[in-house]
Amino acid sequence: MTTTLEHTAVAEESQGGGLARYQNAGTAVAGGVLFAFLFWLIARKTMDPTGEAFNDQVTTILGCGWIIGFWFGIGAFNGPMRWLLGRDHSRADDLYYAGHNQGRARYWKYTTDHKVVGVQYIIVTMGLLGVGGLLAMAIRTELIMPGNHFVNQQVYNAFISLHGMIMILALIVAIAGPWANFVMPIMIGARDMAFPRLNALSLWTLVSAASLLVAVAAVGGLTMGWVVLAPITDQNGVGMDLFALTIVVFAVSSTVGGVNVVCTILTMRTKGMTLERVPIFVWGAITTSALALYAFPFFFLVEVLQLLDRNVATSFFVSGGGGTGWLQANLFWLMGHPEVYVILTPAVAACFEIAAVMARKPVFSYRTAVAAMVGLSGLSILVWAHHMFTSGWAPTLGGPFMVTTEIISIPTGLFFLVLIGTLWRGHIWMKLPTIWMFGFIANFIIGGITGIYLSDIPIDNQLHGTMFVTAHFHYIFVGSVLFGAVAALAFWFPKVTGRFLDEFLGRISFWLVFIGVQVTFLAMFASGLKGMPRRVSSYSVIFDHTNLITTIGAYIIMSGMLVLLGAIIKSWGHGEPSGPNPWHANSLEWMVPTPPPLENFDVMPVITEDPYNFREEMVRS
Amino acid sequence: MSIDTQADDETADARIAEGNAAHDQERHHDGGEGHGGGGDGGGHHESPEVVDGRQRMAIWLFIGGDMVILAGLLFTYLYLRGTNTEGHWMNMVGYTGHPWSYYYNVLFVKGGSLPNPTTVSVNPVSAGFYWFVTLVTVVSAGIIWFGEKRLRASRDAKSFVPIASLATVVALVALVLTIVQLRQIPEIFVTQNDSAYMAYTSYSSAILVLEGSALIHMVVLAFLGLGLSIRASRGVISGDKWYQVRLVRLFWVWVAISSVIVAAVVTTVNTIH
Repeated sequence: MTTTLEHTAVAEESQGGGLARYQNAGTAVAGGVLFAFLFWLIARKTMDPTGEAFNDQVTTILGCGWIIGFWFGIGAFNGPMRWLLGRDHSRADDLYYAGHNQGRARYWKYTTDHKVVGVQYIIVTMGLLGVGGLLAMAIRTELIMPGNHFVNQQVYNAFISLHGMIMILALIVAIAGPWANFVMPIMIGARDMAFPRLNALSLWTLVSAASLLVAVAAVGGLTMGWVVLAPITDQNGVGMDLFALTIVVFAVSSTVGGVNVVCTILTMRTKGMTLERVPIFVWGAITTSALALYAFPFFFLVEVLQLLDRNVATSFFVSGGGGTGWLQANLFWLMGHPEVYVILTPAVAACFEIAAVMARKPVFSYRTAVAAMVGLSGLSILVWAHHMFTSGWAPTLGGPFMVTTEIISIPTGLFFLVLIGTLWRGHIWMKLPTIWMFGFIANFIIGGITGIYLSDIPIDNQLHGTMFVTAHFHYIFVGSVLFGAVAALAFWFPKVTGRFLDEFLGRISFWLVFIGVQVTFLAMFASGLKGMPRRVSSYSVIFDHTNLITTIGAYIIMSGMLVLLGAIIKSWGHGEPSGPNPWHANSLEWMVPTPPPLENFDVMPVITEDPYNFREEMVRS
Repeated sequence: MSIDTQADDETADARIAEGNAAHDQERHHDGGEGHGGGGDGGGHHESPEVVDGRQRMAIWLFIGGDMVILAGLLFTYLYLRGTNTEGHWMNMVGYTGHPWSYYYNVLFVKGGSLPNPTTVSVNPVSAGFYWFVTLVTVVSAGIIWFGEKRLRASRDAKSFVPIASLATVVALVALVLTIVQLRQIPEIFVTQNDSAYMAYTSYSSAILVLEGSALIHMVVLAFLGLGLSIRASRGVISGDKWYQVRLVRLFWVWVAISSVIVAAVVTTVNTIH
């Protein structure tokens, strides 16, 4: 299919792109390394080598060099510089940036086509999950029996921290990254995102930050958990500086991405695509993005203050200078709890979408589903202090925060109502996405209910800092979000590749991961109830059985994920062809060819009814 | 989902041709972003007003994010003052040392040995100077706003160039003043256990980050102002193509407002509660 742009711009195409023709991931890495080296030299010359903060300063400046060089190398500064000089992109430039006729090379460049960005997010997410997963296996191997010492305690702590942060980053983008980019613009009838260059910026900013995070391991790691609460951060080496810089850059990435998604949904819907007719996943994307716009500036701020404390001797979190760790805890958790819903909501929305299509029924009480997602986002900003119940901060506020936290179970309960209502008496098509969606529901029940227990102050006083908490949030992040992410991948995989995700391998993977999650985290609940603390590399023999079971479960999960990886690799190139609309769905992404052409539509559609109006004959078939 | 294609093939071709023309126009209108864009009629049929509306929403969202950061900074300032941990909001009670400037004078100007250290005291930053910097920022915002109004009324892009340039220069003045202000933030040398080190009290820390934030905003304003000047002089901004001026003005005014808010807080709430 030729697109409208292609009709008129082929002749100009060879002239477009300018400097971007020479920029790609390779030049980005080269630029990053070069600038990091230059900045390192400058820092060594200009900073006081006798100062306490010398190593922190050199590391921070080196990290800044990597980021700036990477952005130069990938082409992130081309647009702003051309704007400054009044030399805006021509259509040929835009076509080049969109990756037209560049084959697979466009996946390694600052490409603006939302579908390319979506695929790039899939790859980045899988890479992050792979690294985080390997660290998880290292942790579980260390904990397989008491007194085990595959790694020393500092290295173990570094594994814990990096595993936590890498997985958090991966899950934040696991669903919103690929699918709010690849399918959402098509779902609403748009030719692309509102700001395609910002879209590419968001992706490559994330890549620059993620690479910096992995580099933390090379400079001594991070040894105090992903929340990096002060004042224990003072004890960490320069890995803390790179970590803080990672978060600062990541916050920029998520803010840019969030603005783009919100603007796209609110201003680029095609004719007739009212907010009540958008597929429910679109609501998940916008509530997530709006929440990220509120939450991540706090993340940005708290890590900037950490950097200042470490590099220029300020006293925000250092009580010896008049600061307080509680300030850091408050700022962090103002971000930290909404961030859970930034991660969770896209998974829920994807499951709504899958449930409706696979049950051949409209989303049960669409407005309730929307209200639940919006309500959850709104409430999530009022609950941060439940993470500080046992810290001693403002005990009189414990009651109100316990109530707001427990109120969150109402929109969460509505999620289940909508999902079960949608599936109820539906003609359920038990394909791979549906199976993973059911896994999501089962695990989310356990993760959600244990969350209610933990919001209760007396119980939290007993269980805070134990493996029970770890098991609870792993049921949310692994049992729910990861299952939702795989369900979404299996659902939209045919639209990306034109092929089904291998059903047989996918089912084997599902059962391995599902059983593995129960084995791992139910045993972890038991460890926690017996009093086993989190973040310890060795433990009493009274916890040995449950830890052994947990580690066995973790290996089962890993084997399931490896099978899934095999299924993805096999299916991407040689899977069963799916055609453009394998699920007989009605939303727009299934109405365009597979893979969708540049700019998606030759002629813009006009929408006259909602996407879940499955016709009788279609339901029967 | 029931879908009507908007037109038959012939009409569609006409729309495409029209769209491509509009696309060219849009590109030179506003430096529009990316390779297409959507909206009511799709990327090729968008008017500059539609693109402007989208960009304005983006600016408001970015300003919203900036508001959250400002709220966090003010929360930090007020929280540190409220808690006054170890009595160190301004004064390093219990520690001995000297203001940095005192050491500087003793060691590098006058020479000689140090007298016995005394309890360190930090004075609030100069309210007059703080408000002066704020005033300069507000003036720069006023200039760009005036320039936009004049451009929209007169459609004369030539006269906008000096106005945008003036606003840029004033923003640069504010930037320099902010650097001067940053250098005046009281640092201290603390002596403890036979060692001395430089530190900021929590008050000085909070002021430092507020002024640092202002500095970064000034750099952005200078970049934007310079860009407007160059673009207007090159004809990219003209009497009919003024939308980006409004976008920049929105951000500029927000920066001015945030300066006023910060100045009001730090010059009035500056004693231990």
